[in-house]
Amino acid sequence: MKKDILKQFHKGFPSNPEARVRALKITLEKEGLIDQKALDEIIDTYQNKVGPLNGAKIVAKAWTDKNFKAELIGNTDYVLKNMGLNGRQGEHVVVVENTEAIHNLVVCTLCSCYPWPLLGLPPNWYKSDAYRSRAVRQPRTVLNDFNVKLSSSKKVKVWDSTSEVRYLVLPQQPESSKGLSENELVNWVTRDSMIGTGFPKSPKGK
Amino acid sequence: MSKAHDMGGRLDVRIIDIKSSDQKFKENWEKDVFAITLALGFSGLWNLDRSRFARESLEPKDYLQFSYFEKWLAGLINLLGENGIIEDRKEMKDNFEKNSFRKLEAKNVKKLLQMGGPTKRSCVTEKQFKLEEMVSVKMDNSNGRVEGGHTRLPDYVKGKIGKVIAYHGSHVLPDTNAHFLGENPEALYSVEFKSKVLWAKCENKEDTVIVDLWESYLEKIEI
Repeated sequence: MKKDILKQFHKGFPSNPEARVRALKITLEKEGLIDQKALDEIIDTYQNKVGPLNGAKIVAKAWTDKNFKAELIGNTDYVLKNMGLNGRQGEHVVVVENTEAIHNLVVCTLCSCYPWPLLGLPPNWYKSDAYRSRAVRQPRTVLNDFNVKLSSSKKVKVWDSTSEVRYLVLPQQPESSKGLSENELVNWVTRDSMIGTGFPKSPKGK
Repeated sequence: MSKAHDMGGRLDVRIIDIKSSDQKFKENWEKDVFAITLALGFSGLWNLDRSRFARESLEPKDYLQFSYFEKWLAGLINLLGENGIIEDRKEMKDNFEKNSFRKLEAKNVKKLLQMGGPTKRSCVTEKQFKLEEMVSVKMDNSNGRVEGGHTRLPDYVKGKIGKVIAYHGSHVLPDTNAHFLGENPEALYSVEFKSKVLWAKCENKEDTVIVDLWESYLEKIEI
């Protein structure tokens, strides 16, 4: 019975993925190939432990500590490893800095590559066909969808994550947040500002 | 010919639903698919490139219709089928050897996720291109060794000229690794293309797109 469910998969839309997954799990458990506790641990990691707060901490530190920022950009993997922020889907990271002249935007047109250890799992729109197809051809229109408006004198650089290198945007620090402590600044850094589809925001207006 | 997953630059008029759920998993089965895929990823049966290839190999119609985790589920079933773990494809013979299978245990999860799967290799391979050099992407982006095989060369840059802006060392070549033909590490570069070179109607002539490309995807420019 369960094999029938699995066989049907390739024929059209998986109308009942839940039943298929259940059948699959039973088979794998019976063969002794999976351990429920390990699965729970993986889910817990990505559901509860790893998220954009990791990236936000790095950004806030880079805003307040020039030496750290230079090292973060120049020797990214070493810095992240020391902070325990490397790992699966973040083995090789490049930090790209937004400036007065440049706005960076990250996409993966071939799948949905994303720096998991720094931002967690990607939001749904990042995985959408529309974002994946449009971000490289019409980044400014895409940014407009996100209500991010840029002057035409600012250059947009779109980073397509085609290799195992993952990209993190270092957003510009808002003027109104200058002088705040690193801890306070963490709350200003939004997930989208580290993808390039948003700006940091005052936690009051979030 | 470009495949369904190779979406860069495809004409798509849909507005991006920025409010689309940030919930990581909408349903419980999605958690299972995610966790099983990751857990079996450590088993040694296949590698990351293979699992990407398994998802890309879906019928184009399915690829475009399936949700993200439905694609993962379909890819997982493809992988289990080709390993003879489930009877997914009749013509596949049972080549599953349990003794070489590494079962992921809970106590190792944290360590293995932290380790990840770096693709940078210490060997220094031939490096033909210099920083700031203008390079041309080859015209043919099909896998040269396996017909219809995996590649990470997107359709929208083939034949285009760009500038090398970074060198990342030698990285595992997905085109062979996905087909168990070896890692064949090659120099990996970031190549920056002017948008006006890529698109007939570009939004701003100063804008650029940067794509990570392996040595064998690139050609010298004849002067």
